[in-house]
Amino acid sequence: MAEKSERLTLWYEETDGSDFPIVGKKNANLGEMIKTGIRTSPGFSITIGANEKFIVETGIKEKISKYLEELGEVSYETTKKASAFAMSLIEAAVMPAEIEKDILVNYKKLCDLSSTDNIPVAVRSSGAISMPGQMETYLNIRGDKDLIEYVKKCWASAYNVEAIMYRANKGVGFLFNIGVGIPKMVNSRVSGIIFTLNTLNGDPSKISLDASYGLGEAVVSGLVTPDSFLVDKVTLDIAKTTLGSKETQCVYREGCSDIVQVEVPKEKQEKLCVSLDEVKELCRLGRVIEDYYGKHYDIEFGIDGDLPFPENVIILQVRPESIWNKKEVTARTEKKKDPMERILSQLLTGVKIK
Amino acid sequence: MAAKTFMDPHDVPMIPGTEGWEKLYPYQYQFSKDDPERAAFESSQIWYYDGLHYPEPHFPFDMIWDEAWSLALSQYNTRHVIIPPAMGIDHRIVNGYVYITPVGIADPEVIGKRIPLFMERAGYYYQNWDRLYENWKKKVTALIAELEAVNFTDLPEIEDISVITEGKGVGSGYLLLKKYDDVINMGLLNWQYHFEFLNLGYAAYVTFINTCNQIFPGVPIATLTKMVSGIDVVMYRPDAELIKLAKLALDTGIDELILKPLKSADMMAELAKIPAGQKWLAELEQSRYPWFHISTGTGWYHHHISWNDNLDIPFDAIKMHINSIKAGKEVGRPTEKLIEERDRIVEEYRKLIKTDDDREAFEQVLGVARTVFPYVEDHLFYIEHWFHSIFWGKIRQVGQILQNAGFIENADEDIWFMKRDEIKQALWDYSTAWATGVKARGPSYWPKIIASRKSIYEKFKEWSPPPALGVPPDTVTEPFTIVLWGVTTDVLSEWLKGDSAEGEQNILKGSPGSSGVVEGRARVLKNVEELADLQEGEILVATTTSPSWAPAFVKIAGAITDVGGPMCHAAIVCREYGLPTVVGTGKGTRLIKTGDLIRIDGDSGIVEILERVNK
Repeated sequence: MAEKSERLTLWYEETDGSDFPIVGKKNANLGEMIKTGIRTSPGFSITIGANEKFIVETGIKEKISKYLEELGEVSYETTKKASAFAMSLIEAAVMPAEIEKDILVNYKKLCDLSSTDNIPVAVRSSGAISMPGQMETYLNIRGDKDLIEYVKKCWASAYNVEAIMYRANKGVGFLFNIGVGIPKMVNSRVSGIIFTLNTLNGDPSKISLDASYGLGEAVVSGLVTPDSFLVDKVTLDIAKTTLGSKETQCVYREGCSDIVQVEVPKEKQEKLCVSLDEVKELCRLGRVIEDYYGKHYDIEFGIDGDLPFPENVIILQVRPESIWNKKEVTARTEKKKDPMERILSQLLTGVKIK
Repeated sequence: MAAKTFMDPHDVPMIPGTEGWEKLYPYQYQFSKDDPERAAFESSQIWYYDGLHYPEPHFPFDMIWDEAWSLALSQYNTRHVIIPPAMGIDHRIVNGYVYITPVGIADPEVIGKRIPLFMERAGYYYQNWDRLYENWKKKVTALIAELEAVNFTDLPEIEDISVITEGKGVGSGYLLLKKYDDVINMGLLNWQYHFEFLNLGYAAYVTFINTCNQIFPGVPIATLTKMVSGIDVVMYRPDAELIKLAKLALDTGIDELILKPLKSADMMAELAKIPAGQKWLAELEQSRYPWFHISTGTGWYHHHISWNDNLDIPFDAIKMHINSIKAGKEVGRPTEKLIEERDRIVEEYRKLIKTDDDREAFEQVLGVARTVFPYVEDHLFYIEHWFHSIFWGKIRQVGQILQNAGFIENADEDIWFMKRDEIKQALWDYSTAWATGVKARGPSYWPKIIASRKSIYEKFKEWSPPPALGVPPDTVTEPFTIVLWGVTTDVLSEWLKGDSAEGEQNILKGSPGSSGVVEGRARVLKNVEELADLQEGEILVATTTSPSWAPAFVKIAGAITDVGGPMCHAAIVCREYGLPTVVGTGKGTRLIKTGDLIRIDGDSGIVEILERVNK
């Protein structure tokens, strides 16, 4: 197999953080997370090299260079023209057979993994430098034809006016190849949030987990009362389970990428939405993330309805927990001279009944 | 919660057909309005049914242990180590079932005066624990040896000549009466020893649990037990002996012989015919004393026989182990894994503590909990199993004498319907009649009484004792009430609920015993002899379990018990085997039938009957 830098596609697990010049930052970060043991949605990267090969073989690279020379001095007006020129060329070009084949072979693998034809994927831009929000990400893309179309659209999005100007400000040239990530769309049967502590009192020996049916929006925006668990972080035994009402769930509108609310059937409302094994696996991943970053974390997850356990337990997003990490910690016990004093004090206190 | 109360203890209705039941038990065990002061006290206390020890109604003789612990537990709290805010635990009996109540001290001045005494006395025990505990083991094993040496036989037609030639000057009648007293007194002494450390053990344990709950609010009790649980626990030794014997059988090629469906006596006769079998039998003898004195139940009832009383039971267990080993299964306690897991849990919890003060508190309570834990776990074998098993055997000898003399019809069944003082009276009747050479009154006196008591007892069995009577207190300070019976707000409110709801019940609430959720077919077992019926993957439903059931734990998917808290043995054993378990459901064996499809949630303590088997 060719060197990584020569490849047109790389699966996430084949890469790590240091591969960002090959696949772009977002893709490389996903590879790094997987390497650490944090399971994300399965998928692959289309390398920056593939983008280069595309613009060379289609002659687009040459055409753009010529056009830029023709345009002369750079201004907002000329940038707009150059942007329209580049984007239309890229979107209209025929994908070179070698690149297309490579992408579609991997897409087929992703379909097989999920036991579903035309599995929906996301097409996500991933530049080698950070350009937050400058380029496009497309959700719910399915089928060979659309996938190839949207990969081109994604490449083209590197040439939208804002992106070109952002790069120009940073002294980066006009021609800019990007990586593209093709993760399976998480078909969230269940989603939710993990905090790697007890959110009520900051107790670091617990993991708090909220979960409800469908996409994460329902839990994140407080649309439903989720099932909620308090788990012993050390043994992963469940310390407390609270059944939530979970009347509604968010799903993608059929074939689209916008979200609609639908009602959860009564019998599903009355059951816990996650299995015990899924709870334990989620908490295990929560621990991995906390250990990796060295502080309490706030984690969004999805449980994919297309994949088998434990591959279905997928981390969507992680960020440091924002309240307890900053609080000063004070002792929870009273100071006592020796165990005898502690026992005495316990006996005198007793256990409250009412 | 509103000031809800339970039924007043004086208002519990008598079961029709049990008139005169009070005579089966000591008079002071009755709830009575004779004395207004005592009646007011009774009405103001919370009395809870001691289902942990007594899943069945009491036999008049078996009351010995209840009286013994009533004396011993209370005296250690009240008069020995002086638990500052707690006196003893008072006992009553209603329709054959024992109810108990912790007695607190309300006056802060009295409590204050008790503190320095407690610090000196309890402090001495905690500081000298290991030495005193070693001494304790010596005392108890010496007492057991003394008990073993006693034997009861029928009075002789003529005294042995040695009575004359050695100038003994005492007769067998007197000696019979004395020996009976001796054995009873040894039983009471055994229970004095039982509580020498236990109150302080539980006090330390409560402190450990509550301090950890301050540092880690809501830490599961199962996690805390794993932190302190001993590895070299005596209670697991009997099962370890069986595994040793199973392995020896496999190593010496006599496993096929042992697997034959023979009764133990015939099996031993077969084994004695071949050299490998003889060697194996010699090992068996080694294991039997003391390890086969383990009871098949809790040891509290006379019918909780030991392995030594019926060798078929350990033989069946050895067969199970041989089959498990052959099937490539792990048998016994995974000791190394347990040590590793215990150390990992403690280490990770230590790392989670964020202040020096909390760290110091944790180390203090962990240290003292670990000091006391071996006693808390091991005393059961010495007292309730080893001593009790031999003791029941001695009383059965007395029963045989009374049967031979025509006082009772069945030595195995009838003597337990006599109070221990009544047996003494009967032995007087028997001895004086023997001395005089006349007919005793016993044969015309006891059979009627025993028949009537048996009928009362059967009616008791049909009654469901309410979980509690009287008025719940604000606070419980008595350490046993908290740790052993697990009397807390949740438990009391569950009991109050249960008071009103009856009828078809498909959901039972108990305490989480061991983590996990499992679904399976139920197997309701009344006693250890039925263990052989157990099928792979079934959920065991029993009143309680004993460590002697351990061989079955590799087969089952989970367990439910009627009685017991998070510290009961079923819970501890199941945690070790990683089996989802709910303990203390109160009525699992009554509501669940063998074959029912049930789901148990060892985390929430909920048992659900999903599908009832057709009758």
